[in-house]
Amino acid sequence: MVRNDDHELVRRAQKDDKEAFELLVERHKSRVFAVAGGILRNREDVEDVAQQVFLKAYFSLKRFDQRSAFSTWLYKITVNECWDVLRKRKVRPLVFEADLSEEQAQRYRAAEDVQDGTPDISETLEKRQELDRLLECLEERDRLMLVLKEVRGFSVEEIAGILEINGNTVKVRLFRARQKIVERVKRKDAAKA
Amino acid sequence: MKCQEFVDELEGLPVERSGEATLESLSAKLTEAARQHSGKCASCRAGLEDLAAARSVLRRLAGPPPEAGPWFAKRVMGAIAARENEIEEGRNGVWSSVGRLAPRLAAVCAVLLMLGGTWAYEQNRAEQIKQEEMRSSESLFEAPASSPLNDDVMASATEGRP
Repeated sequence: MVRNDDHELVRRAQKDDKEAFELLVERHKSRVFAVAGGILRNREDVEDVAQQVFLKAYFSLKRFDQRSAFSTWLYKITVNECWDVLRKRKVRPLVFEADLSEEQAQRYRAAEDVQDGTPDISETLEKRQELDRLLECLEERDRLMLVLKEVRGFSVEEIAGILEINGNTVKVRLFRARQKIVERVKRKDAAKA
Repeated sequence: MKCQEFVDELEGLPVERSGEATLESLSAKLTEAARQHSGKCASCRAGLEDLAAARSVLRRLAGPPPEAGPWFAKRVMGAIAARENEIEEGRNGVWSSVGRLAPRLAAVCAVLLMLGGTWAYEQNRAEQIKQEEMRSSESLFEAPASSPLNDDVMASATEGRP
């Protein structure tokens, strides 16, 4: 019986089995999108990066020795690729609507519309901008940890693997990051009141 | 329970797939020992409250993650095939250009060989002429080989006679 787990699929893909690699893409695309979406906010960028990640993975698969999980290796490529995009552009990672050109903003709204069918797009955008402002007080790495952990449901071990840091460091940083944003929310609410 | 153990348990709490993360819902997922600890330890209690508040606000604001389109995997495989073709063409390109240029390369080599050969022949010939000229000029000015004097011959012939 053919075991279709990652290990087996990777082994087959390393022997130029394209179907096996396509199965790996299908299996991991959602989480690659989630990781990239935690760093980049522009949907087009996320899609481009995700495609680039799988291309890189395919062409370096023969060098992957399977000592770590394929998913961890893939997410690590994703994070590096996203940071590369940001470094090349030398812009802040979070894109507000005001930063977009009219054409981009329209496409962004259209993409949102198609994506979740929400009737009130401006509300979605507002929420997103609020989230971006809320997370601005955190370092890039802490922001990524927080989004991956508390929104996308990644485990501490997975995050530690992706960012190549100790699990305890992840826990401590998450603890502090949460403290920071909760304080910020409380201050904001107090100011409103 | 120690604070570190409580933090470990706190970080292990799964994200709510549906519904809001509240203090009550998170507390309910904790073990009895952790619940008792959070009742006694203010710092850990604050950590639990922060987790509930942070999850709640992040979930409310973040929205669904960007999702891959239905043809994403096919597009990736298409891009891989295109890249492989490029690489293959790149490899073939080197050899095909060698093949295309082969007659020209042969012609250039032949011309170079002919020119080189002619030059080498001319050099050799010029050297030979030079040597011959030197030899002939040497023989013009050279003194003839000295023949023994007749007197000496005579003297030697009479030697030993009485």
